[in-house]
Amino acid sequence: MTRPHHPLVQEFLDAWVYPVGFSGPGVDFRLRMTERCLPVWNGATARALKSGEADQRTPGDEWKIQRALAGYAMEGPQMSIKQMATQLLSVPLSMQEQYIDLQRMRARQLWDEMKHGQLNADVLLRGGWVKDENELMENVKANAQDNLAYFGQTSMFMHTHPLARAAQNYFVEAIAFLGIAAALQVIDDPLIRHEMRSQQLEELMHFMEGKYQLDAYALTAEDQKPIEDAFDFLLKPWATKMSVAFGGRAPEAGA
Amino acid sequence: MCYVVCREIDLNAVVIAPDPLHRFEIDRERCLYPGCTVCLMYCPAPGAIVEVPTGRSLVPPPPDVWTEERRQPRSAS
Repeated sequence: MTRPHHPLVQEFLDAWVYPVGFSGPGVDFRLRMTERCLPVWNGATARALKSGEADQRTPGDEWKIQRALAGYAMEGPQMSIKQMATQLLSVPLSMQEQYIDLQRMRARQLWDEMKHGQLNADVLLRGGWVKDENELMENVKANAQDNLAYFGQTSMFMHTHPLARAAQNYFVEAIAFLGIAAALQVIDDPLIRHEMRSQQLEELMHFMEGKYQLDAYALTAEDQKPIEDAFDFLLKPWATKMSVAFGGRAPEAGA
Repeated sequence: MCYVVCREIDLNAVVIAPDPLHRFEIDRERCLYPGCTVCLMYCPAPGAIVEVPTGRSLVPPPPDVWTEERRQPRSAS
Protein backbone atom coordinates (compact mmCIF):
# COMPACT_ATOMS: atom_id res chain seq x y z
CA MET A 1 0.00 0.00 0.00
CA THR A 2 1.34 3.44 -0.90
CA ARG A 3 1.65 5.88 1.98
CA PRO A 4 -0.10 9.22 1.49
CA HIS A 5 2.14 12.18 0.90
CA HIS A 6 2.67 14.81 3.53
CA PRO A 7 -0.11 17.42 2.98
CA LEU A 8 2.44 20.11 2.09
CA VAL A 9 4.06 17.77 -0.43
CA GLN A 10 0.69 16.86 -1.94
CA GLU A 11 -0.13 20.54 -2.30
CA PHE A 12 3.24 21.10 -3.96
CA LEU A 13 2.69 18.19 -6.34
CA ASP A 14 -0.76 19.31 -7.40
CA ALA A 15 0.17 22.95 -7.88
CA TRP A 16 3.70 22.83 -9.27
CA VAL A 17 4.92 19.32 -10.16
CA TYR A 18 2.15 17.57 -12.07
CA PRO A 19 0.97 20.38 -14.37
CA VAL A 20 2.84 19.83 -17.65
CA GLY A 21 3.18 21.99 -20.71
CA PHE A 22 4.85 19.47 -22.96
CA SER A 23 4.43 15.82 -23.82
CA GLY A 24 7.22 13.48 -24.79
CA PRO A 25 10.30 11.79 -23.39
CA GLY A 26 11.41 14.72 -21.24
CA VAL A 27 8.15 14.76 -19.27
CA ASP A 28 8.16 10.96 -18.94
CA PHE A 29 11.71 11.10 -17.62
CA ARG A 30 10.85 13.86 -15.12
CA LEU A 31 7.85 12.01 -13.75
CA ARG A 32 9.98 8.90 -13.31
CA MET A 33 12.58 10.94 -11.41
CA THR A 34 9.78 12.52 -9.34
CA GLU A 35 8.85 9.10 -7.96
CA ARG A 36 12.45 8.72 -6.78
CA CYS A 37 12.43 12.16 -5.14
CA LEU A 38 9.15 11.75 -3.28
CA PRO A 39 10.35 9.74 -0.25
CA VAL A 40 12.99 12.38 0.47
CA TRP A 41 10.64 15.29 -0.16
CA ASN A 42 8.13 13.77 2.27
CA GLY A 43 10.72 13.03 4.96
CA ALA A 44 12.41 16.42 4.69
CA THR A 45 9.09 18.24 4.93
CA ALA A 46 8.03 16.31 8.02
CA ARG A 47 11.40 16.99 9.66
CA ALA A 48 11.28 20.69 8.77
CA LEU A 49 7.86 20.95 10.34
CA LYS A 50 9.08 19.30 13.53
CA SER A 51 12.15 21.53 13.67
CA GLY A 52 10.00 24.59 13.08
CA GLU A 53 7.65 23.59 15.87
CA ALA A 54 10.60 22.97 18.19
CA ASP A 55 12.12 26.35 17.29
CA GLN A 56 8.80 28.08 17.84
CA ARG A 57 8.68 26.65 21.37
CA THR A 58 12.29 27.59 22.14
CA PRO A 59 12.72 30.76 24.18
CA GLY A 60 15.45 33.22 23.27
CA ASP A 61 17.13 34.14 20.04
CA GLU A 62 19.77 31.48 19.60
CA TRP A 63 17.74 29.39 17.12
CA LYS A 64 17.12 32.45 14.96
CA ILE A 65 20.83 33.24 14.93
CA GLN A 66 21.67 29.64 13.98
CA ARG A 67 19.14 29.64 11.13
CA ALA A 68 20.46 32.93 9.79
CA LEU A 69 24.11 31.89 10.05
CA ALA A 70 23.38 28.64 8.24
CA GLY A 71 21.45 30.50 5.56
CA TYR A 72 24.28 32.97 5.15
CA ALA A 73 26.79 30.14 4.90
CA MET A 74 24.69 28.39 2.28
CA GLU A 75 23.83 31.41 0.20
CA GLY A 76 26.23 34.11 1.22
CA PRO A 77 29.18 35.49 -0.71
CA GLN A 78 31.57 32.66 0.12
CA MET A 79 29.42 29.95 -1.45
CA SER A 80 26.71 31.53 -3.50
CA ILE A 81 28.47 34.09 -5.57
CA LYS A 82 31.64 32.15 -6.22
CA GLN A 83 30.32 28.66 -6.64
CA MET A 84 27.02 29.40 -8.29
CA ALA A 85 28.93 31.49 -10.80
CA THR A 86 30.86 28.42 -11.88
CA GLN A 87 27.58 26.93 -13.08
CA LEU A 88 27.51 29.50 -15.84
CA LEU A 89 30.53 27.76 -17.29
CA SER A 90 28.56 24.59 -17.91
CA VAL A 91 27.50 25.79 -21.34
CA PRO A 92 30.49 25.81 -23.69
CA LEU A 93 30.55 28.25 -26.55
CA SER A 94 29.82 25.48 -29.04
CA MET A 95 26.51 24.77 -27.25
CA GLN A 96 25.55 28.35 -26.49
CA GLU A 97 22.99 28.59 -29.25
CA GLN A 98 21.28 25.41 -28.06
CA TYR A 99 21.32 26.33 -24.36
CA ILE A 100 21.25 30.12 -24.36
CA ASP A 101 18.22 30.23 -22.07
CA LEU A 102 19.87 27.75 -19.74
CA GLN A 103 22.60 30.34 -19.23
CA ARG A 104 20.04 33.06 -18.59
CA MET A 105 18.19 30.95 -16.03
CA ARG A 106 21.41 30.28 -14.17
CA ALA A 107 22.43 33.93 -14.24
CA ARG A 108 19.04 34.80 -12.78
CA GLN A 109 19.49 32.16 -10.07
CA LEU A 110 22.87 33.60 -9.17
CA TRP A 111 21.15 36.90 -8.36
CA ASP A 112 18.52 35.10 -6.24
CA GLU A 113 21.12 33.19 -4.24
CA MET A 114 23.06 36.36 -3.52
CA LYS A 115 19.84 38.01 -2.35
CA HIS A 116 19.11 35.11 0.00
CA GLY A 117 22.50 35.58 1.61
CA GLN A 118 21.68 39.25 2.08
CA LEU A 119 18.32 38.38 3.65
CA ASN A 120 20.07 36.21 6.23
CA ALA A 121 22.56 38.99 6.93
CA ASP A 122 19.57 41.31 7.29
CA VAL A 123 18.09 39.05 9.98
CA LEU A 124 21.35 39.15 11.94
CA LEU A 125 21.65 42.92 11.58
CA ARG A 126 18.01 43.72 12.38
CA GLY A 127 18.15 41.39 15.35
CA GLY A 128 21.18 43.26 16.65
CA TRP A 129 23.25 40.05 16.73
CA VAL A 130 25.99 41.49 14.54
CA LYS A 131 27.02 45.11 14.20
CA ASP A 132 27.92 44.86 10.55
CA GLU A 133 28.35 42.21 7.88
CA ASN A 134 32.12 42.25 8.26
CA GLU A 135 31.73 40.40 11.58
CA LEU A 136 30.41 37.42 9.66
CA MET A 137 33.71 37.02 7.85
CA GLU A 138 35.26 35.89 11.13
CA ASN A 139 32.52 33.37 11.89
CA VAL A 140 33.07 29.86 10.56
CA LYS A 141 29.36 29.08 10.84
CA ALA A 142 28.63 31.90 8.41
CA ASN A 143 31.03 30.53 5.82
CA ALA A 144 31.12 26.74 6.09
CA GLN A 145 28.72 24.49 4.24
CA ASP A 146 28.99 20.70 4.30
CA ASN A 147 25.99 19.67 2.23
CA LEU A 148 27.30 17.59 -0.66
CA ALA A 149 24.10 18.20 -2.61
CA TYR A 150 24.52 21.94 -2.39
CA PHE A 151 25.15 23.61 -5.73
CA GLY A 152 28.63 24.59 -4.69
CA GLN A 153 29.93 21.13 -3.99
CA THR A 154 28.06 19.81 -6.96
CA SER A 155 29.77 22.14 -9.36
CA MET A 156 31.47 19.06 -10.75
CA PHE A 157 28.21 18.43 -12.59
CA MET A 158 29.13 21.11 -15.06
CA HIS A 159 31.90 18.91 -16.33
CA THR A 160 29.54 16.07 -17.22
CA HIS A 161 26.82 17.80 -19.23
CA PRO A 162 25.12 21.22 -19.35
CA LEU A 163 21.85 19.62 -18.28
CA ALA A 164 23.18 17.55 -15.37
CA ARG A 165 22.52 20.29 -12.90
CA ALA A 166 18.79 20.22 -13.69
CA ALA A 167 18.66 17.34 -11.21
CA GLN A 168 19.91 19.64 -8.45
CA ASN A 169 17.42 22.33 -9.41
CA TYR A 170 14.57 19.86 -9.41
CA PHE A 171 15.35 17.74 -6.37
CA VAL A 172 17.15 20.06 -3.95
CA GLU A 173 15.34 23.33 -4.66
CA ALA A 174 12.05 21.53 -4.03
CA ILE A 175 13.37 20.61 -0.59
CA ALA A 176 14.20 24.27 0.04
CA PHE A 177 10.70 25.34 -1.03
CA LEU A 178 9.05 22.67 1.11
CA GLY A 179 11.26 23.44 4.11
CA ILE A 180 10.27 27.09 3.94
CA ALA A 181 6.59 26.16 3.50
CA ALA A 182 6.83 24.05 6.65
CA ALA A 183 8.59 26.79 8.60
CA LEU A 184 6.10 29.44 7.56
CA GLN A 185 3.31 27.19 8.74
CA VAL A 186 4.56 27.04 12.31
CA ILE A 187 6.97 29.92 12.96
CA ASP A 188 5.55 33.35 13.65
CA ASP A 189 8.77 35.22 14.41
CA PRO A 190 8.70 38.29 12.13
CA LEU A 191 12.44 38.24 11.36
CA ILE A 192 12.48 34.61 10.28
CA ARG A 193 9.35 35.10 8.21
CA HIS A 194 10.90 38.22 6.69
CA GLU A 195 13.89 36.19 5.58
CA MET A 196 11.74 33.50 3.97
CA ARG A 197 8.98 35.36 2.17
CA SER A 198 10.46 36.22 -1.21
CA GLN A 199 12.93 33.37 -0.87
CA GLN A 200 10.17 30.79 -0.97
CA LEU A 201 9.01 31.93 -4.41
CA GLU A 202 12.57 32.22 -5.62
CA GLU A 203 13.24 28.62 -4.56
CA LEU A 204 10.13 27.71 -6.53
CA MET A 205 11.61 29.56 -9.50
CA HIS A 206 14.76 27.43 -9.21
CA PHE A 207 12.66 24.28 -9.06
CA MET A 208 10.78 25.43 -12.16
CA GLU A 209 14.07 25.86 -14.00
CA GLY A 210 14.80 22.20 -13.35
CA LYS A 211 11.28 21.13 -14.27
CA TYR A 212 11.38 23.06 -17.51
CA GLN A 213 14.84 21.84 -18.47
CA LEU A 214 13.80 18.23 -17.91
CA ASP A 215 10.52 18.57 -19.83
CA ALA A 216 11.83 20.62 -22.74
CA TYR A 217 15.48 19.64 -23.13
CA ALA A 218 16.05 16.14 -21.72
CA LEU A 219 14.70 14.33 -24.74
CA THR A 220 17.26 11.67 -25.56
CA ALA A 221 18.82 8.83 -23.60
CA GLU A 222 22.16 10.56 -24.15
CA ASP A 223 20.90 13.77 -22.50
CA GLN A 224 19.02 11.96 -19.74
CA LYS A 225 21.95 9.81 -18.66
CA PRO A 226 24.08 12.56 -17.04
CA ILE A 227 20.97 14.00 -15.37
CA GLU A 228 20.02 10.63 -13.95
CA ASP A 229 23.61 10.19 -12.79
CA ALA A 230 23.24 13.46 -10.91
CA PHE A 231 19.96 12.27 -9.39
CA ASP A 232 21.72 9.03 -8.40
CA PHE A 233 24.30 11.06 -6.53
CA LEU A 234 21.87 13.49 -4.91
CA LEU A 235 19.63 10.65 -3.74
CA LYS A 236 22.42 8.88 -1.88
CA PRO A 237 21.47 9.01 1.80
CA TRP A 238 24.71 10.79 2.68
CA ALA A 239 24.59 13.37 -0.12
CA THR A 240 21.61 15.57 0.66
CA LYS A 241 21.19 17.34 3.99
CA MET A 242 18.57 19.88 4.79
CA SER A 243 20.24 23.06 5.99
CA VAL A 244 19.55 24.40 9.47
CA ALA A 245 18.29 27.47 7.59
CA PHE A 246 15.36 25.42 6.32
CA GLY A 247 14.76 23.40 9.47
CA GLY A 248 17.51 20.78 9.24
CA ARG A 249 19.32 19.54 12.29
CA ALA A 250 22.31 21.42 13.62
CA PRO A 251 25.53 19.35 13.68
CA GLU A 252 26.23 17.66 17.01
CA ALA A 253 28.75 19.49 19.14
CA GLY A 254 32.22 18.14 18.44
CA ALA A 255 31.02 16.24 15.37
CA MET B 1 10.02 31.54 -17.14
CA CYS B 2 6.97 32.45 -19.25
CA TYR B 3 9.24 34.47 -21.50
CA VAL B 4 11.70 31.59 -21.94
CA VAL B 5 8.95 29.04 -22.53
CA CYS B 6 7.04 31.13 -25.06
CA ARG B 7 10.21 31.80 -27.03
CA GLU B 8 11.08 28.11 -26.96
CA ILE B 9 7.83 27.23 -28.72
CA ASP B 10 8.33 30.13 -31.12
CA LEU B 11 5.20 32.09 -30.26
CA ASN B 12 6.99 35.06 -28.70
CA ALA B 13 3.78 36.30 -27.11
CA VAL B 14 5.48 37.37 -23.87
CA VAL B 15 7.01 40.80 -24.29
CA ILE B 16 8.80 43.31 -22.11
CA ALA B 17 6.58 46.30 -21.49
CA PRO B 18 8.02 49.59 -22.73
CA ASP B 19 7.73 51.29 -19.36
CA PRO B 20 10.42 52.08 -16.80
CA LEU B 21 9.71 48.92 -14.76
CA HIS B 22 10.08 46.69 -17.83
CA ARG B 23 7.58 44.14 -16.58
CA PHE B 24 6.70 41.12 -18.64
CA GLU B 25 3.37 41.35 -20.42
CA ILE B 26 1.41 39.06 -22.69
CA ASP B 27 0.68 40.23 -26.22
CA ARG B 28 -2.94 39.19 -26.60
CA GLU B 29 -2.71 39.28 -30.37
CA ARG B 30 -0.02 36.61 -30.38
CA CYS B 31 -1.03 34.51 -27.37
CA LEU B 32 -3.05 31.43 -28.31
CA TYR B 33 -4.70 30.90 -24.90
CA PRO B 34 -6.75 28.83 -24.21
CA GLY B 35 -5.38 26.66 -27.03
CA CYS B 36 -1.83 26.99 -25.71
CA THR B 37 -1.16 27.08 -21.95
CA VAL B 38 2.47 25.96 -21.85
CA CYS B 39 3.84 29.06 -20.08
CA LEU B 40 1.47 28.55 -17.15
CA MET B 41 3.08 25.24 -16.24
CA TYR B 42 6.49 26.80 -15.55
CA CYS B 43 5.50 30.11 -13.96
CA PRO B 44 6.55 30.20 -10.27
CA ALA B 45 4.66 33.41 -9.37
CA PRO B 46 1.17 32.70 -8.00
CA GLY B 47 -1.37 35.07 -9.49
CA ALA B 48 1.04 36.53 -12.04
CA ILE B 49 -1.04 35.46 -15.05
CA VAL B 50 -4.78 36.10 -15.00
CA GLU B 51 -7.59 35.08 -17.35
CA VAL B 52 -8.96 38.39 -18.55
CA PRO B 53 -12.67 37.55 -19.04
CA THR B 54 -13.07 35.88 -15.64
CA GLY B 55 -10.29 37.44 -13.59
CA ARG B 56 -9.26 34.02 -12.26
CA SER B 57 -5.61 33.34 -11.54
CA LEU B 58 -3.94 30.83 -13.85
CA VAL B 59 -0.86 30.31 -11.65
CA PRO B 60 -0.71 27.70 -10.29
CA PRO B 61 -2.60 26.31 -13.27
CA PRO B 62 -6.10 25.00 -12.60
CA PRO B 63 -6.57 21.38 -13.82
CA ASP B 64 -8.82 22.38 -16.71
CA VAL B 65 -6.02 24.35 -18.42
CA TRP B 66 -3.46 21.56 -18.63
CA THR B 67 -5.41 18.87 -20.40
CA GLU B 68 -3.54 16.55 -22.73
CA GLU B 69 -4.49 18.22 -26.01
CA ARG B 70 -2.96 21.50 -24.87
CA ARG B 71 0.52 20.04 -24.39
CA GLN B 72 3.27 20.85 -26.86
CA PRO B 73 4.74 17.61 -28.22
CA ARG B 74 8.51 17.34 -27.81
CA SER B 75 10.64 14.70 -29.42
CA ALA B 76 14.33 14.09 -29.82
CA SER B 77 14.32 14.94 -33.51
